[in-house]
Amino acid sequence: MTLPASLDEAVAALTAMPAAVPVAGGTDLMAAVNRGQLRPAGLVGLGRINEIRGWQYQDGHALLGAGLTHARMGRPDFAALIPALAAASRAAGPPQIRNAGTLGGNVVTAAPTGDSLPVLAALEADLVVVGPLGTREIPVSHLLAGRDLLAAGELVAFVRVPLLHAPQVFLKATGRTGPARATASVAVVLDPARRGVRCAVGAVAPMPLRPLEAERWIASLVDWDNDRGLAPEALTAFGEYVAAACVPDPPGDEQLPPAVLHLRRTVATLARRALGRALS
Amino acid sequence: MSNDATTAIPTLPFAEAAGAAPEPETPLRGLGASLPQADARAKAEGTFPYASDLWAEGLLWAAVLRSPHAHARIVSVDTSAAEAMPGVRAVITAGDVPGTATYGRQVADRPVFADGLVRHHGEAIAAVAADHPDTARLATAAILVEYELLEPVTDPEKAFAAEPLHPDGNLIRHIPLRFGDPDATGEVVVEGLYRIGRQDPAPIGAEAGLAVPRPDGGVELYTASTDPHTDRDLAAACFGLAPDQVKIVVTGVPGATGDREDPGFQIPLGLLALRTGCPVKLTATREESFLGHAHRHPTLLRYRHHADAEGRLVKVEAQILLDAGAYADSSSESLAAAVAFACGPYVVPHAFVEGWAVRTNNPPSGHVRGEGAMQVCAAYEAQMDKLAGRLGVDPAELRMRNVLSTGDLLPTGQTVTCPAPVAELLAAVRDFPLPALPKDTPEEDWLLPGGPEGAGEPGAVRRGVGYALGMVHMLGAEGTDEVSTATVRVLDGVATVICSAVDTGSGFSTLARQIVQETLGVEEVHVAPVDTDQPPAGAATHGRHTWVSGGAVERAARMVRTQLLQPLAHKFGMSTELLQISDGKITSYDGVLSTTVAEEMNGKELWATAQCRPHPTEPLDESGQGDAFVGLAFCAIRAVVDVDIELGSVRVVEMAVAQDVGRILNPAQLAVRIEAGVTQGVGAALTENLRTARGLVRHPDLTGYALPTSLDAPDIRIVKLVEERDVVAPFGAKAASAVPVVTSPAAVAAAVRAATGRPVNRLPIRPQSAVATTA
Repeated sequence: MTLPASLDEAVAALTAMPAAVPVAGGTDLMAAVNRGQLRPAGLVGLGRINEIRGWQYQDGHALLGAGLTHARMGRPDFAALIPALAAASRAAGPPQIRNAGTLGGNVVTAAPTGDSLPVLAALEADLVVVGPLGTREIPVSHLLAGRDLLAAGELVAFVRVPLLHAPQVFLKATGRTGPARATASVAVVLDPARRGVRCAVGAVAPMPLRPLEAERWIASLVDWDNDRGLAPEALTAFGEYVAAACVPDPPGDEQLPPAVLHLRRTVATLARRALGRALS
Repeated sequence: MSNDATTAIPTLPFAEAAGAAPEPETPLRGLGASLPQADARAKAEGTFPYASDLWAEGLLWAAVLRSPHAHARIVSVDTSAAEAMPGVRAVITAGDVPGTATYGRQVADRPVFADGLVRHHGEAIAAVAADHPDTARLATAAILVEYELLEPVTDPEKAFAAEPLHPDGNLIRHIPLRFGDPDATGEVVVEGLYRIGRQDPAPIGAEAGLAVPRPDGGVELYTASTDPHTDRDLAAACFGLAPDQVKIVVTGVPGATGDREDPGFQIPLGLLALRTGCPVKLTATREESFLGHAHRHPTLLRYRHHADAEGRLVKVEAQILLDAGAYADSSSESLAAAVAFACGPYVVPHAFVEGWAVRTNNPPSGHVRGEGAMQVCAAYEAQMDKLAGRLGVDPAELRMRNVLSTGDLLPTGQTVTCPAPVAELLAAVRDFPLPALPKDTPEEDWLLPGGPEGAGEPGAVRRGVGYALGMVHMLGAEGTDEVSTATVRVLDGVATVICSAVDTGSGFSTLARQIVQETLGVEEVHVAPVDTDQPPAGAATHGRHTWVSGGAVERAARMVRTQLLQPLAHKFGMSTELLQISDGKITSYDGVLSTTVAEEMNGKELWATAQCRPHPTEPLDESGQGDAFVGLAFCAIRAVVDVDIELGSVRVVEMAVAQDVGRILNPAQLAVRIEAGVTQGVGAALTENLRTARGLVRHPDLTGYALPTSLDAPDIRIVKLVEERDVVAPFGAKAASAVPVVTSPAAVAAAVRAATGRPVNRLPIRPQSAVATTA
């Protein structure tokens, strides 16, 4: 276990010992260790790297440190900047998990139920990755889809998120009232400058899904210059459009099993409510 | 003899009103006092040593290899690689069991280690002792087992015709209960099919234990057993030792709503200690805990209720199928409860109930609080709702027309002789004011289904109110020899209770202290730790200890009292009955003569041992008839739920509970036990289901198995505690923990039914069963 104090030291430590695993909050990693599924040869602790524990502004974007905890992102000052990410962070588990779990960890673990992931997908966030060969940026969806993987010695250092200055909503459905993993989640963000609505659906597939056609269609209906509200029928249609895209019909004449039909209905409801709240 | 609660102890132990006015003269000790548990502080601070905290010099660590398959033939087991690993001290398999190869609480049908055949996912195959826990786990992984996979029998309905999974056959028990006229019919008939899921006891502390070999060739097991003497006898038989060579020392119990640390856990541990000659410790992982211990029986129920036009029940026909898993365990007992209480606390002139418990390759089933009674309650209460809907009668009113009372017959032919204030309980919950709708509070403060800041939307939320009545039996049934032995010792004004009744969290040790305080007037009472060198007190299930062990403690304390007062009575020239002990003083009935307890004790050490054995019961006969139960407890619950009918998410807003408790011995403890029972019932109603796919447990962890959190636990209002003393019970008190577990799921289901108009015939209630159209 090494505890580097800077990103450079962390990269050096990982390069020196390629079998070592970086650990931040440990809420996923240590659970796997305890279950006997993972036995890392070494750990590089990221908890002392102060440069990734906060955020800074950079030409219309926020550069979020990968070490930001869910608890930190859930606070009102952060919620004023990126409301959907704050909402997802507040929903990300019980206080013990939120105090330890980090943004970077949520991205790298890439669990289908990771609550920040649909928000980052909807925001079209980029990851700033540092490694022995320097710094590069990759879209978050490329990492989640496996199109662009982290190379040996590389770390997610920052997440670059556009500041849209418009309503954003994150909603999730779970099996209980207390904190639980999402059965489905939806993030809706408005981008008035580009007259766009962006939506991502989490937990129904291995990575967040973007219903692009539904986004374009609904964005064309919004009156961006005046009251942005839409008729309830339009919201319902949007929800169903999103749900049909993300929980598709099986090929041929097969019927969806009842549990999957319920999942589709859940996605439709969440998308309708999320858009309604964003536009109200 | 009827002693209504309203005149005695406050019926609302934690009502808000109690905060305003101080409680009237709550006693500080003795019966009726809210004495706190002696170890509560240590447990809250985390300093209380549980079995997993124990340590011994030269300790070895055990690990158990468990089957990854639900049904397989074991072709070969090769332990040589594991044995060759450095640090491994012993590897044992089925061939290394020196005594009997199988064990079981009622039928010895379960092998210590799977021998040739695996019958469920997680069945033990081998165990390893090594000098480090990681070495032990790696060694289990190095054991090579060749399996030949067999088709698992996972549908209990198919178990009847399937190839026998066990030499004893697939049918564990069949009870065909016949009561009354089979040709009777009612004007209104309602039918239903109900499914109950697999609840796990999910104790906070996973199983753990320490085995220490003894110089005499015996072994001591330090573990949280809840039935130490039975466990000792079963373990000794498998060790090939006499029972007195095995000693079980009961450590603190970290949560028990079923049996804990069953022999299947203790036997490999003891065998490893005997084999290595070293102390061996085993702490189960959460996954092993889920796979290894017994669960609630998944149950399939078919019902047909006949009623007259007024809604009075004429006949109940039912078929009840319990999935017992691979081994018999206590399924026969669970089936008896399910069949006997299949009609609920209602008067039913004619009843025809067929019950079966069958073997499958699903996870093992056994005793969890309210077993048997809970499954049928959900079904018969759904039938009562259906009947009310058919007749257009209010569901509470329909129930009121049918309630059981003292003197009525159960469908087993047994007369209800104990107090059965069912009508009073139902009236209490029905008349209690409903919780206010949150319309006057700011919208952001509403706790909607889905949680704070969740997806819930007020416009899609419907509120529902539902009722359920439940009953359980207390103590062992069907001829079980119920007996408990207790010893009380007094020296220098300090009393000690020695009784091997395990306090599972039921609060028995606190009650024992109160009983001795009450009888002897001694302030300081200690309860000795439990081990099997003490006389047996039986299992800590069915609320036994309040009754049987409490009775034994009281008798022993009375005997000590007589010993103490005899010389004084002789001196005063009056009977011991005319002397009173209070506040450390002995006073004659007229107050003229008095002395202090300390003076009378005068350094003497007084001992007495007594037994309590309630009146015997008889097994159900071939038509399900017989006086099978000693005592019954009843409960009425009104559930209020909010359902987001688009997402199908449910939040239980309030549970109003009225319960028949006989007599309140410790108000605070009683309230806590009822709250715990209701919360466990809410879990069974909404989220708790250990899911399997082809016999394999899918998510054996606390993320996949969703227990209720503090946000899921509803407001629990104890609206009435009826104190009608049961004359045959010591102190007249009834056990309080199980009956709210039995009744709550049915009440929640009834409320969701009312909110959504959906049938809700499956527990836990899945979101897709709680969605409704917004129109």
